Formats: sequence, structure tokens, C-alpha cells
Amino acid sequence: MTPVFPGAVDCAGKPTRDFSYVASRRRRLSEYEAVTCHTQPDVLTYDKQGWLLRDINGRPPWVVESTALHHPNWFRFRDPASHWQRTYVRMQAEQERSIARTAEDAGANGVIAEIDPVWVKEILGRHYRAWSYAEYGLFRAFAVAQREALSDTIGNVYCFEAFDRMRHAQGIVLHLLELEEFVEGFVDDGAKAVWLEDPCYQPARQLVEELVACNDWGELGVVVNLVFDPILTEVAISQLVRRFGSYHGDPVTAHLVGTTERDRRRNLEWTQELVRMVTADDVPEAPRNAAVIADWIASWTPRVRRAAEAMAELYDTPPLQVARFEDVLATALAKQEELVRALELKVGVAG
Amino acid sequence: MRNLVKAHERVKDFDWDHSYAEKPDRYPTKYKIPRKTKDPFRHLIRDYVSMEQEKDDRQYGAMEDALARSNSAGKAQPRWMEILKIAIPTVNFGEYAAMKSCGQLVDTVDNAELRQGYMAQMIDEVRHTNQEIYLNRYFAKHAADPEGFHIGLKARGINMFGIAGRAALEAFFVGDPIEGALNLQVVAETAYTNPIFVTLTEVAAANGDNVTPSVFLSIQSDEARHMANGYSTLAAVVSNEDNLKYLQDDFDRAFWRQHAFLDPFLGTVYDYFQKDRGGSYLEKWNEWIVEDWVGSYISKMEPYGLAVPECFAIAQEHMKWKHHTTAMLAAASWPFQFWRWDPLTQADFEWFENKYPGWYKLYGAFWENFAQTTKATDGVNPMAAFEALPPLCQVCQMPCIMPRLDCSEVRFADHAGRTLPFCGTMCEKLFFQEPIRYEQSRTFWQQNHGLGLDEYIVQSGLLRSDGKTLIAQPSLDTDRMWTIDDVKAWGMEITDPMVAIHAERVKAKADGAVLNGSGNGAAGNGAALRIGS
Repeated sequence: MTPVFPGAVDCAGKPTRDFSYVASRRRRLSEYEAVTCHTQPDVLTYDKQGWLLRDINGRPPWVVESTALHHPNWFRFRDPASHWQRTYVRMQAEQERSIARTAEDAGANGVIAEIDPVWVKEILGRHYRAWSYAEYGLFRAFAVAQREALSDTIGNVYCFEAFDRMRHAQGIVLHLLELEEFVEGFVDDGAKAVWLEDPCYQPARQLVEELVACNDWGELGVVVNLVFDPILTEVAISQLVRRFGSYHGDPVTAHLVGTTERDRRRNLEWTQELVRMVTADDVPEAPRNAAVIADWIASWTPRVRRAAEAMAELYDTPPLQVARFEDVLATALAKQEELVRALELKVGVAG
Repeated sequence: MRNLVKAHERVKDFDWDHSYAEKPDRYPTKYKIPRKTKDPFRHLIRDYVSMEQEKDDRQYGAMEDALARSNSAGKAQPRWMEILKIAIPTVNFGEYAAMKSCGQLVDTVDNAELRQGYMAQMIDEVRHTNQEIYLNRYFAKHAADPEGFHIGLKARGINMFGIAGRAALEAFFVGDPIEGALNLQVVAETAYTNPIFVTLTEVAAANGDNVTPSVFLSIQSDEARHMANGYSTLAAVVSNEDNLKYLQDDFDRAFWRQHAFLDPFLGTVYDYFQKDRGGSYLEKWNEWIVEDWVGSYISKMEPYGLAVPECFAIAQEHMKWKHHTTAMLAAASWPFQFWRWDPLTQADFEWFENKYPGWYKLYGAFWENFAQTTKATDGVNPMAAFEALPPLCQVCQMPCIMPRLDCSEVRFADHAGRTLPFCGTMCEKLFFQEPIRYEQSRTFWQQNHGLGLDEYIVQSGLLRSDGKTLIAQPSLDTDRMWTIDDVKAWGMEITDPMVAIHAERVKAKADGAVLNGSGNGAAGNGAALRIGS
């Protein structure tokens, strides 16, 4: 028999012992949904009294114009990774510990000291370090997007991606500090000037600045996760820094990049989910959304491609030629095209 | 070992001047912030995630292990547990709003040091949002009376106090981002998180609830960093003399917006829901707000051009009675709520009189009477205590009965063909400083005008699982609980008092009367509760 504690009510039916206001995706309410859903007020459902403060231009806390995409209920979105803060932070803590240990071991057993010196100086010291500024710029862009996103479940994936980007930027800095410790004569210096002035990076910098200036949170997620990362980050970081690294005696950087690729896969998945949600058959604005997304992709892809092409000569820098730039770019473009095709954007339908 | 000083220097040198694309001025600010300032944040992400994971493991581990097995939530004082049904969801919006505030600050404050601090706070706020809702769900699963916990965030949206909370907390991220930071970091976090996350845990623990302290104290361990963010932001603001001409007004406004809701709300939670009694909210307020926040912090800012808000003196005077008046109104309107009241006893009366001399004379009769009409079998209409519903302030959304019913400072003002109510001169002043920010807000009465009380309760989902007993009750007695049929029998219709007040004022004007801000006879009294007799 269940003991009845003081304060218990045993005369008004069997009480509901879980949240009854969250529309669960599955049969049972997940922990992720329970702690995330409806933390953002929604004036269309549970907060019908409306907003209670506006800015000096009369703008309320959230506005549907914050994206060109339309959906009758943004709160329906669910992160495919089902991350809430605890699971997200635990995952990143594990990744960070694994990086720290790999670096510690590689420092202690002499691996870092034996990394190819040209690789250390040119690719890690100049190129990879310059990339930390790109990640920082994207952090800024995603921090704004999480502010503007039209539901809690969407805001959170943007917030976590902002954190991903800063994690990578900081990870690069910490990695180079370890190189300074173990590689004689190496100094982390001058990469900011590379980012600001070297012609190889100017199209990338322009892109990042344009993304920081982008005022549409939907566009930011789509462009970064479906265009920028699959093409530019793939060519500049995954295929060059990760893939070439081990051939130059550098297992640590490859591991660090590997953790950011895990983040990238997660971010790609929620972006695909977001696209699916706004282009689903039951969404009245689906054709229009599909056209908007297709326009974004069409408008940004050539720019992202140009930024990748500007980095072609970097592939001549490492002493060992592991892959040719043209092949790497062609593969990245083909895979990205496949990603876009898989979205099945029905743009031919009148919107 | 890595060189931490260098690491900090380098992660704070990520900014560059954009030359290809100009960032839009998304969140305009009047303030000029220097590019370089002191660093409020001393953790790298690598250290931060490790530290937070450890804290999470301890807190969630305790909740699911020892606290669950000892059934701490089920055995806690029922009186205390009831108020958490509204307190947790209401406070929760503060966390969510803070996360949004940090996004604005990252965008607006062009200073890499401060941005690092805002970034960590942004993810901290996701943490707190999740922790508190986890706690709310935990109580839905484990509390002796779970009903009310199970509709937390939904019920917040339709509850008059949940709505007033949102009105105050929206100020964290709606408007000038620096004004938001003043509301969030300088006032709410530095002044009020101690009363919320520290002293409330003392009450919780004394009343057998060891779960809330596990969560709240873990939250508070992040707040010190947020206070540092506030201090660094403020230091950056006062370092430029041009900023001072705006700062005082914005700071005064921030203090008042937060005080107007948080103090009556927290005071009610603190003083009216303790069973095993300790200190009073006023004592804690004097300790944390007067001595600590004003005495050791804000008053020390005077040489830099920031003074203690003028309205602080009004707040301090109001603190004697404001939350008692709020508690009385909240208890009298209990059928609107989604928690149960435990009527005060003689022992409570003695405690109140001891802590707030003169309390019994002002409030004793109401509570004596309240305790007599708590059973449905009494056959009385508890809502008959209202001669009229009190107007709700156009700015803070709190009832215009402050600081006390017998000396209410309610004000009425004409604006764009309407009569608008204000709880006092401060909210009225704030409104006319920036009417565009508040004029579109609807009050709870406006929203529900014309609805039967029974309809409101059914539509809002405020019934227990038997489909007829109210979640809200005026006592913990389960003998014969009030049902929706009782409410129907009262025949009460929710009426926005401003309809009649506006009509009376229009008529009075037509008759040639000169209306000032307050009073104006029957039209000005707005609301009255028959106390006691």
C-alpha cells in the first residue's frame, strides 16, 4: 500500500504524475522535452495575454519576421540529438578531456616535438590558428540567432552551436600553447594578420562577416550547416588539417578536429530536421519555405565555393601531398549537393 | 602545464574590425562601451564544462539517489510545497530571459573580455532553465500533492502572478541591452539571487524539503560569475562619462521594475508558506538588499557617478507591508490560482506580529476570517469578499493596492483615450517616460473580461484529475474540497474594473470635475476587499 504523506490528496482522482502540457514526440515524455518545452512563452498557446514589454520602437520580445521561414507552430521542433544542458555539457566535457589527454600524452612521449616543423609553423601556426577567428565570428552569429529563434527547442540548438564554435576557437588556441611548450622555437604569433590580410582568407573572412551581419536565424543555420561547413570547413579543416595531420606526425590536431566534426554532424542533423519541419506537407507555407531555403543555398553556395577555392594554394604547403585540392573540393561539392538533394526541396510548386 | 595567463590573453583577442560587411545595429544602445576592460570570466571552456558536469552530477545524482529514496519531497511540509507550484515556473522565466539577454550583449558589447563572460552565462542560463524545470517535474512525480506541478509552465502563462513575473523579467532582454544587463546582472542577480537561491533554501530545508536546496544552491554557485559580469559591465559603463547622463534613469527603472514584482512575490513565498518558522523576509531583505547590495556595492559607486535609486526609499518604506497586502489579495483570490493555501494559525499570527509589529491590526482580521471559510461545506461564496477587483498596474501588472489597502497609492492617468491604472507614482513615471513600451500590454482582467470564473478555471485546466475538484483550495483540508460546481454556484463573472472606472472618470469630467492622478472617489478606490467582518 502506498503510504499517504501529509498534504496528499486522495479524494480527487488519481493525480497526474508528469507534465501534461507538453506534446511528446514519442509515447512517453522524454527528459529533453520535459526540461526544454515551453520554457519560452508562446503568445499563441499558453501565454495568450501577450507580451508585457516592448523596446522603444515598439518591438516585442520575439517577432515572426526574425526569419523568412514560416511555420504555424515553431514549438513543435525537436532536436534529433535530444540535448539539454546536462547531456550537452557532459558530451563536451568528455570531448575536452579526451583532447587534453591526447595532447598531454603526445607532449610527454615526444610526439609533439617530432611533428613536421613546416606543418607546425605553416598549417597549425598560420592556417589553423587563422581559422579560430572564423569560429569566433560564427559564435557571435549563433549567439544572436539563439536570442531571436522563435521557440525554446530551436533557440537551444542555436545556443549549443554558438558554444561549439567558441569551443573550437579556444581549442585551437590551447593546442598552439601546447606546441609552444614542446616545439622549440614555435610561437603562436601573426595569425591574426593572416586572417585580416592574407588573400587566401579574405573571401572566408568576408563570408564570416556577412554571416555575423545576417539578420535571419533560419538563414544562418541553413547556410552554415548545409553550405559553409560541408564545403569550406570540410576543405579548409577536415581534409587539410585533419587528413594531412597524421602524415606529418600530428595525431593531436586530428583528434581535436574530430571532436568538432562530431559537433558538425549534430548541427547538420538538426538543420535537416528544421528544413524537414518547415517543408513538411502539412505546413501551408511549405512551398514558400522550400523556395526561400533553395534561394539561400543558391545565393551562398558560390560565395562559399569561392572562399574554399581561395585556399587552394594552402594544399601545396605541407611537405607530404596526401590529397589534391581539386579532388578534395570536387568531393566536398558533390557531397554537399547530395545533402541539398536529400532535402527534397519542392521549389517548383507555386508558393 | 599550459600557460593559463597566455591562454586567457589569447582567447580574449578574437575580435577584429569587420571591413567587408557591417553588422546591423540590432539592439541599439545609448551606451558607449570601451573595447578593453577587466576580464570578468576566469574559465576556459575546457575547465568550465568539466566543472559544470561535476556540479550537475552531484545535484542530479543526489535528487535521483538519496533524496528520492528518503522521499524528501513527499515528506516536506505541505504548506511549503504548495507555493513552489507557482514559484518555480515564475523564477524559471528569469533564467530563460537571461539567456536571451546574454545573446544581445554578445552582439552589442564590442569587447572580447566581456563577451567571454556573457558566453558562459548564456549556457549557464540554459542550465538553470533546465534545472528548475527538472525540479518542477521531480515534484510532479514525488510531491504528496503533485497537481499544479504537472501544469507548471502552462499555468504560469495564465496566472496573474506568473504574468506579473514575466512583465518584470522581460526587462532582461527587451530594450537597450545595457539596460537589460542592469535589470538582470546588477539588480536581479546581484541583489535578488541571494534571497531567492540562498535564503529560500533555508526555509525549504527547515520545512523538510531538501530537494529545492540541492538545485538552488547549485544554481547559486554560477551566480557569482554573473554578478561579476554585472560588475564588469557596470564598470565599463561608468568608465565613459558620456554614459552617466542615461545611467541613473535606467538604473532607477531597473531597480523599480524588479522590486515591484520580486519583493511582494518573494515576501509572500517566504513569510506565508513557512510552517516551521525562522527569519522573516524583511530581515533577509535588510541583510541582502539594504546592507549587502546597497551598503557594500551600490553606495560605493557614488564616486563613479551612480547613486542609490531615489525610489529605493519608497521601496524600503513599502517593504513593511507590500507583500502582506499581496499575500492577502492572492489568498482572497485563491480560486484563480493553482496551489493550495494553508490558513494561518495563532502561532503564525504571533510570529507575524513579532516580525512585523502592527501586522495583526492590519491583516489579522482577514486571516481570522479566511480560516473560517476554508471548507466547501460552509456554503459561503469566498469571492463575495471582493467588492470589486483591484485594477492591475499597466506597467508591473501587480494589483494596485500597494503598499496597503487603506493607503493604496493607486494612480489613474489618461492616455490615448483610455484610463490607465498604476500601482503608484513610480510605475506611472516609468510609463510616461516611454509609453510605447507599455501601452499595448493587456492586463489579466482585460484578458479574461466577461468570462465566468468557472469558465476561466475550466479553460485554464485548473481542475484535478477527477475533472471537478479545483487544484486551488483555501486549505490543506481534504474533507470536502471545493469543486467547479461550487464555483458555478457563485455565479461570478470576471470584470475588468477599469471599464467602470473609465466610465466614471469620463462622466466626472463631463460634469466638470478636475481629476488628478489618484483617488477621485468611488472611481479611484478601484478595489476593495472587505477585511474580516
